[in-house]
Order: sequence, then C-alpha cells, then structure tokens
Amino acid sequence: MDDWSSLLAEANAGDSRAYTAFLRTITPVLRGIVRARGGGLGEAVCEDVLQEVLLAVHLKRHTWQVGSPVRPWLYAIVRYKVVDALRARGGKVEVQIEDFGDVLAAEPGPDPTEAADMAKMIGLLDDRSGRLVRMIGIEGASVAEVGKALNMTEGAVRVALHRAFKTLADLRERHIR
Amino acid sequence: MKTEDLIAALAADTVTDTPPRAILWPALVFAIAAAVLVVWGLLGLRADLVQSLANPMSVMRYVLTGAFGALGVRLALVLARPEGRGSARLWPLVVPAAAALAMLVWAYASTPGEGRQMALVGKTMTTCLVMIPLLSVLPVAAILFSLRRGATTTPALAGFAAGLGGSGFAAMAYALYCTEDSPLFYVTWYGLAIGGVTVATTLIGTRVLRW
Repeated sequence: MDDWSSLLAEANAGDSRAYTAFLRTITPVLRGIVRARGGGLGEAVCEDVLQEVLLAVHLKRHTWQVGSPVRPWLYAIVRYKVVDALRARGGKVEVQIEDFGDVLAAEPGPDPTEAADMAKMIGLLDDRSGRLVRMIGIEGASVAEVGKALNMTEGAVRVALHRAFKTLADLRERHIR
Repeated sequence: MKTEDLIAALAADTVTDTPPRAILWPALVFAIAAAVLVVWGLLGLRADLVQSLANPMSVMRYVLTGAFGALGVRLALVLARPEGRGSARLWPLVVPAAAALAMLVWAYASTPGEGRQMALVGKTMTTCLVMIPLLSVLPVAAILFSLRRGATTTPALAGFAAGLGGSGFAAMAYALYCTEDSPLFYVTWYGLAIGGVTVATTLIGTRVLRW
C-alpha cells in the first residue's frame, strides 16, 4: 500500500486527520490536472472546477475498495468530473486525459484563489446547513462547537453536514445542466 | 470559498455511505423473491414443474436467463466503481448469447416444418412479452438503486448491465410459470422481452446514473 492508499483507508474508517492529509495531498495534483485541461478558462474557473472535483471525490470515497490502487480510482473520478465541468462552462475539452502521470502539481496562485461557485451553492442551502458548512470550513469550528452554537448533538451535526454536501452536489448538477 | 476551507469542511464529514455492493445483494434478493411470489400468486407455477426439470430443453430456460442475470449483475458491480469502465469485460455475454442462438437453430432444424409455426408462436406469447418486463421492474430498480450509490463513469453501459441483469432474473422467475419448452419460443420471446427491457434501461441509465 502506498501513502495515498493508507491515508484513504484510514480516512474511510473515520479518521478525519488522515482524511485532511489525503485531501491536501491530492489537491495540488488535481489542480495541476484541471489547469492543464482547462487553463484557457482562467485560474478562478479552474479553482471552481477543482472544488467540484473534490466534492465528487468526497461523496464517492466509499466506492474505493481497500487494497485496490487509489490512482486509477481517483483519476477516473477526476476525468469524469473535469470533462463534465469544463463542458458545462463552455470550454473545449480534450477528452483524452488518459495519462496524468506527467502533470505537474500546482499550488494556488500568489493571490489565494477565492472560488465563487461553491460559495454561491452554499448560499442556496437552507440556513442551518449553510451556517454549518461555513462555520466548519471558513471559521474553522469543530463539530462539537457547531453543535453547541446550533443547539444540536454532535451526531446530528455530522448527519446534517453529510446531507449538506450531498445537496450541494445535487444543486451543482442542476445548475450546470 | 477557499479550497483550503472546503477541505476543512469536507474532512469534518466522517459519514461514509454504504458501498454499492453491500446495498445490491439484499435489494436484489428481495426483488427476485418478490418476482417469484408474483409469478406464484398471480400466474401460478406450472403444474408439471418437477417433471419439467427432467427435460434439458426446459432447464436451459433457467440456465440461459440465469446466466444473463448473473453476468449483468456482475458487470453492474464492476461498473459501479469509477475505474470499472476500464476493466469491464463484455465478451462473457457472448457465451449465453451464442448458446441461445445455437439452440434456436437446432430447434428450427429438428422441429418438423408444420410444427415450427406453432412452436414459435406458442399459446402465451403476449403473456410472456407483458409479464417479463413487468417482473423486471423491481430487480432492475434494485440494481439501478445500488448503481446510484456507486460512481459509474459510463451511465449508459451501467444502465445496460442493470437492464440485462434485472430482466434476466425476471425471465428466470417467469419460467416457473411458462410451459413453452421449445427454444423456438423462449429464445425468441424471452430474448425479445429481455432485449426490450435492456434497451429501455440503457436509456434510463443515461439519465439517472449521472452524477
């Protein structure tokens, strides 16, 4: 098992620190892929697409089987989503993204890119779900702190958070078609 | 929202969904059981069911439909994974398809000329063409449901697999009622029913299996 496999295995077992590490590891690689394919659309759009891909990876992470290699699994999701997302934005897509091996990892631009689409989608969530995602993501609150602030149990916060991400993906689907 | 913030939010969500495989088996077993019960309750099992199992031509109905059912479900499970598109193999389907065609040709050659028409049309063609698609609804829905939990990167092919698997098992249940044991009948009409359901489900797949 390589580092990606062990991180994802621990993440799927519920270890959120391993999951953070996994997402941070793959993000520059995915950003490189998105820019290589949709560079003509500008960095901000690419960052939107990247976030869409990350959301998809997140919601489909249970389809990875422990013991199978992560990269083919991950790149299949990325290929599917990037083609979809770039096409939806009117970009001419090169569909032949078979080999990602030569793509260089990319760090965010000097001015940390503030992607707009995800924020817009979060705005379409119901108030509580939107607050929840913002508190944890932007304000860095823990699940326990959110529970206290919104008067919910930790279990309820986790369920609501998961549901919020699923809704975001659905909203995304409806908006780009 | 910054990507780093999104990562923080995603990482806090420790709920993972059930893998498609774990959903498929219970859902499919339930759906097939329901199909068998409908056949039993609505149509009735064929009176000579036990004796018919001694007739290889009759038993082949279960073997062929069961083979399409099992291969379809297996294909669906491979395609439920995003990278499954690359490792999915369609050629095993050739085996039951070739066997069915061979039996059709053999039955045509060995049935006397005046009996062919009767064997082909049978007495229950309409029932067959109506009931197999109806019985397919639950098994197909069960497979599509678990595919939606998966992440197929080829919605049409996954829909095809769901249709073939679900209607294969539905036809297998229908065979418990059906007394037409000539391959001229069942290869033709079971085949048409399974084919129709599979085409329809392929189209449905392109819509409901996108994500």
